[in-house]
Amino acid sequence: MEGKIIVVTSGKGGVGKTTATACIGAAMAMQGKQVVVIDMDIGLRNLDVVMGLENRIVFNIVDVVKGRCKIKQAAIKDRRIDNLFLIPASQSDNKDSLTPEDIIRLSKSLRGRFDYIFMDCPAGIERGFENAVAAADEALVVCTPEVSSIRDADRIIGLLYAKSITPKLIVNRIVPEMVARGDMLSHEDVVEVLSIDLIGLVKMDDKVVVATNTGLPLVLQKDSEAGNAFHRIAQRLNGQPNLPIENSDNGKGFWRSLGRKLRRRN
Amino acid sequence: MNEHRQAVRLKGVGDGLWVTIDPSQSVDLLKRDLTAIFKRLNEMAVNSKVTLDTETNESHTNLLDELGLFLKDRFRVATVSAPPNRRSRSREEERIRKRDVDRSWQHHRSHVLMLAGRVRSGQKVTARKHLTIMGDVNPGAEIVAGGDILVMGSLKGKAAAGYPDDEEKIILALDFQPEQLQIGGHVVTGIPSFKEGRAQFAHIVNNTILVDDYLKNNPFGRLPWPEVL
Ligand SMILES: Nc1ncnc2c1ncn2[C@@H]1O[C@H](COP(=O)(O)OP(=O)(O)OP(=O)(O)O)[C@@H](O)[C@H]1O
Ligand SMILES: [Mg+2]
Repeated sequence: MEGKIIVVTSGKGGVGKTTATACIGAAMAMQGKQVVVIDMDIGLRNLDVVMGLENRIVFNIVDVVKGRCKIKQAAIKDRRIDNLFLIPASQSDNKDSLTPEDIIRLSKSLRGRFDYIFMDCPAGIERGFENAVAAADEALVVCTPEVSSIRDADRIIGLLYAKSITPKLIVNRIVPEMVARGDMLSHEDVVEVLSIDLIGLVKMDDKVVVATNTGLPLVLQKDSEAGNAFHRIAQRLNGQPNLPIENSDNGKGFWRSLGRKLRRRN
Repeated sequence: MNEHRQAVRLKGVGDGLWVTIDPSQSVDLLKRDLTAIFKRLNEMAVNSKVTLDTETNESHTNLLDELGLFLKDRFRVATVSAPPNRRSRSREEERIRKRDVDRSWQHHRSHVLMLAGRVRSGQKVTARKHLTIMGDVNPGAEIVAGGDILVMGSLKGKAAAGYPDDEEKIILALDFQPEQLQIGGHVVTGIPSFKEGRAQFAHIVNNTILVDDYLKNNPFGRLPWPEVL
């Protein structure tokens, strides 16, 4: 097995990296792949909560790197979704406890054990980011349709290119009604500035919060538009790159027809 | 006859009329030859700018004054002057002008930094002299040049030309939407006057940065011959 390491990053905080990591990881596992999601946000762990696995943590990523346990011991198996594992972050260490070299060393055994390794990157461009991208083969950049988020995503994209990683874009938290009114940038506006390949559009969806609070994974909620969008992103990553970005079930095709009124603002 | 032909020569009709005269000839002879030439020019001479070039390093002020009055009087030309900064038209300048003929720019190392691609937020490009970007400059990106800046795409970031204190330089973009502009020491934020789909450039006029339509103003019109930058 020669697994692929995909880092989920954004620059700006709170745009949906952790949500995307959990959902895409789960969706990928549901397609039958061996998946591990790793929380690289050392000191501010989150991914375990979003996945409802916080009570089962014994070891964490720093323990694995420091040789205090085996990967197998630290990787928590999800009870609802087969083939899905989480390696949590350490809450008590800080980001300097790991180095990019540590991650590169670890990546060899991860690649041998899993098909897909998703790294949930912390916000910022410092050590935490360096660690998360150190061994990455691919990157998913999460961006919301806001000027500040685009600015930070653009910065991250420049840094990723400098590391020979070609990123793909997820635009998250889109509110179609606001875009239609001209109160929110459209995904086209975002793509125009960032000019990288778009791999998914995720709407603002109350079910995201509900999923976090109830522990019922978003991708298991059939009627969640965001959940479906993450399923499609996983499919596109997993051998169906030409699957249309537009949700077929939304029928109205509004993604295309939305106005560009805010164009001049970014 | 031979001598006559060489006493006064019309050399060029560019921005005005460039006439070389032989200052060693008598004033009468020069006037007679000037008359012959200007009669032939006819209407073209009226209101023209005439440069009288003695092709020497002496000033010949009296001679030029007299011939100047004569031309204004007889042929209603607008101005008559000596060539600009005669003394600085050194060997160096002659050499630069000749480049057109000998194509010596083919051996010249460029002072232009030319980059292809997108300059992204947080990236800063600095050029000692001129800077050309074959691509877009994103919001949050910064480009700085000691000389002119040309962006063959959209300029949405910050741009500083003539850095740190050259006010003659310009910033041009095919899609001109900068966050901030600096020329010499002058700074403006936002876009002074943006026209979608128009190539525009910023330059300094009366100590303020102005943005004008590129095609209407032709900021390079002031450069009379091809020069290596
Ligand atoms: N598509 C969405 N619809 C509604 N809410 C969302 C969506 N995506 C994310 N959220 C909410 O936004 C908040 C931030 O999301 P998340 O924690 O995934 O961001 P993050 O980028 O990981 O943040 P940090 O930089 O702090 O790690 C959460 O409360 C999450 O529930
Ligand atoms: Mg997070």
